[in-house]
Amino acid sequence: MKIFCVIPAWNESHNIIETIQKVLNYVDFLVIVDDCSSDDTLIKAQELESAHSEKIKVLHHPINLDQGAALQTGHEYAINHGAEIIIDFDADGQFLAEEIPDIIEPLIKEDYDLVLGSRFLEKKSDIPKFKKNIIMPLAKIFNFVFFGIKTSDPQSGFRAMTVETVKKIVIENNHMAHCTEILAKAYNYKLKIKEVPITVIYKRYGQKFFGGFKIIKDLFFKKIIG
Amino acid sequence: MIQQIIALLILVFFVLKLTVQWRKKTININEFIFWLIFWLVASLLIIFIKPIDQLVINMGFSSSGINLIFYVAVLFLFYLIFKMRLKMVKMEKDITDLRRELTLKK
Repeated sequence: MKIFCVIPAWNESHNIIETIQKVLNYVDFLVIVDDCSSDDTLIKAQELESAHSEKIKVLHHPINLDQGAALQTGHEYAINHGAEIIIDFDADGQFLAEEIPDIIEPLIKEDYDLVLGSRFLEKKSDIPKFKKNIIMPLAKIFNFVFFGIKTSDPQSGFRAMTVETVKKIVIENNHMAHCTEILAKAYNYKLKIKEVPITVIYKRYGQKFFGGFKIIKDLFFKKIIG
Repeated sequence: MIQQIIALLILVFFVLKLTVQWRKKTININEFIFWLIFWLVASLLIIFIKPIDQLVINMGFSSSGINLIFYVAVLFLFYLIFKMRLKMVKMEKDITDLRRELTLKK
């Protein structure tokens, strides 16, 4: 099984090298999509690409398109270069690369189509209280009511998919609503979905309360405009 | 009467601005004609506000003609915003597709 990992990166010069080095131990190929960073993210990623050109490809968006668009660019590269399993991973070092084998195992051994990392299962993640008790429950209710999504952590960015799944789920939302979009499409296609517990180390707060409204706005317009 | 004169003066100012923009070629002839007609219609509505009031009452509405014009204007603005939103979404998609294609070709 050829395992690709897609890492969208925007202004992550402090974390990108460490993230790449850690992830590289668990995958066959790494696709970094620099989303027009204004810091040294691209240069640092390209330095590692030169040292491991057989295992790393750095793509660059000359304008900032946002995370959803960067993921889709990485997915298309992975599809065109023989990936069989594609993992989405964040560049900010919040996810643990050691948990990659856990997230791909159900795809290989149990024939699942999509595996999601969840911060709310057995493992303990140090999630900020407001986020854990207010933002996340509201996001879960919203996702369930409007899209029928029943997963414990619909906003998780750590996921693994078979290449057939990635071909079906084309991310059309450039921004942060892509998590909901992926799950909504997976439910729509009746794909086999599994959640596995993951650990998240919060270096930054991440999605804020009003960021949630932006996601709802993006999803709303997508729903009515199509 | 005085309100009508003030409103018409404001509209004259808008038409003058419009003409300046057209002369500077910041807008094309079609856009110029569209907005010119728009402001001329607005002027006519202001000039004939009394007959419009009467028309609104005859149609069975309780409010005055000017209120009805505002309601229609707000609806029209909502429609314009929606059209702009559609155009922006399409542009964003086109830019994303183009950028992605160029990124993947490199």
